[in-house]
Amino acid sequence: MTADGTCLELAGKVPVESAPLAGEDEEALIRQAQAGDRIAFDALVRAYDRKVLWLILRIVGSAEIGRDLYQEAFLKVFRTLPGFRFQSSFSTWLYRVVVNICLDHLRKASTRAEVQPAGPDGEEEHFQNLPDSRAETNPERALESQEISSRLKAALRQLNPRERVVFELKHYEGLRLRAIGEICGTTEETVKNCLFRATQKLRLALSDLR
Amino acid sequence: MECRKFQENTLLFLYGEISPELRAAMEQHQKECPACSAKLEEAHRFHEWLRKGSGQEPPPELLAACRRELSSAIDRELEKVTWRGLLRDFFAGFSAVPATRAAGLVTLLVLGFSLGWTLRPVAKQSVPQSPAGVSSFDAADLANLHINGISQVQPDPATGGVKITMDAEKRVTLQGSLDNPRIRGVLIDALKSYQNPGIRHDTLDALRGAGDDPTVRSALLYALAHDPNTGLRLEALDSLRDAGWNSEIEQGVIQAVRNDRNPGVRVEAVNVLTRHATPSILPVLNHLASDDPNPYVRMKCIDAVQRLKGDGN
Repeated sequence: MTADGTCLELAGKVPVESAPLAGEDEEALIRQAQAGDRIAFDALVRAYDRKVLWLILRIVGSAEIGRDLYQEAFLKVFRTLPGFRFQSSFSTWLYRVVVNICLDHLRKASTRAEVQPAGPDGEEEHFQNLPDSRAETNPERALESQEISSRLKAALRQLNPRERVVFELKHYEGLRLRAIGEICGTTEETVKNCLFRATQKLRLALSDLR
Repeated sequence: MECRKFQENTLLFLYGEISPELRAAMEQHQKECPACSAKLEEAHRFHEWLRKGSGQEPPPELLAACRRELSSAIDRELEKVTWRGLLRDFFAGFSAVPATRAAGLVTLLVLGFSLGWTLRPVAKQSVPQSPAGVSSFDAADLANLHINGISQVQPDPATGGVKITMDAEKRVTLQGSLDNPRIRGVLIDALKSYQNPGIRHDTLDALRGAGDDPTVRSALLYALAHDPNTGLRLEALDSLRDAGWNSEIEQGVIQAVRNDRNPGVRVEAVNVLTRHATPSILPVLNHLASDDPNPYVRMKCIDAVQRLKGDGN
């Protein structure tokens, strides 16, 4: 407990950074944002955008593209929020928007064959600049972490766009298979198979490193 | 349970995506079968290892840039929407009147347009063709003239000329360094009073790095407190952050933390205050940690208070 005892008590009432807001708070914010309240919309963005940006960066691998997709995603949310009818949770709806934008980008990029072969120059630019709190005090761990990161990114590039998205949503975002199915517009069974295939491919690609 | 079934479900077991009954059966099998237990352990290690390869958060400066850009994009979006709305309202007005009246309105419009078109050559002919006929201005000046409004047009049948009385401004270009007080003065004026947010944005850009000058600092504080555009208030805050920190800036930023209507600006203001931590900001942050209407701002304040207290220890 802190000296004045206030902070810890309050800490329990506010959401963890970037975690979804509590149900009632969130619904009130959404309704205000739907009615054109800009502050409420900004608060909604702030509640999710850290996780969203992190997801986008991991999926597309480039800070520059991530910046564009972040804006595209939230502008789309801004335009279409008045049509949100609370038939799914807001986070599922938001992730659906984000994932569709990422999938579109990955598909276009693989058609143009621009992103996939980019390797160290493009795709991994932001990962090389990321602070790793676990490794920063230990040079050996830092090197190891860099090596792992670099190999993992290469392995992730071997997954097709949908496998990549499913793996990210499950492994790093920790979403339920059913929610991932809703986000990707498919069944839980298909998501399960996709996750199996992605994991298999990663195990194969990284078998020499473990 | 058979080993085959155990191994088929290993992945879902690790992700917690199996029923409680299946989990209990698998845990039982794990105890009884060393081979399956070893495979599960290996799969678990692989999962943990995969996590090592990914950081935990996006770079904060990238997130801040994304937020700023989004805010400006939404401002532009809202401007577009306003224009669309005005046009829609205008045309919606037509649908609200009865058909006969609408037809009358259209007829009037067509008649007005036809009349204007018929008179157009006459007006053109009545303007003297020679630049010498333009009495108050040199002809070359006219190109640089911005006409705000015409208050009177007097044709002169005797000469065939015309006298036009209007409010007009002449466009001039100032060029020079920021050290020039006149240039600084114009920029400060633009920042405080110009309507166009694009011009205010360019002005803020031009003033970046000059925040140590008291007049510029005061203009930046004014922009932080009063600019209607969220993105520009954030930019003003950015410029102040890099200026020489003093009590005047601290008070301005504290006001932003307390009063800005946008939680994003309040969060950035908390970040700036935390960076230039002084004991005087603790009560402010403590107060906001409980009273700010936005949960994210409250959380940032709590975090800042804890960090400041940590630094003090």
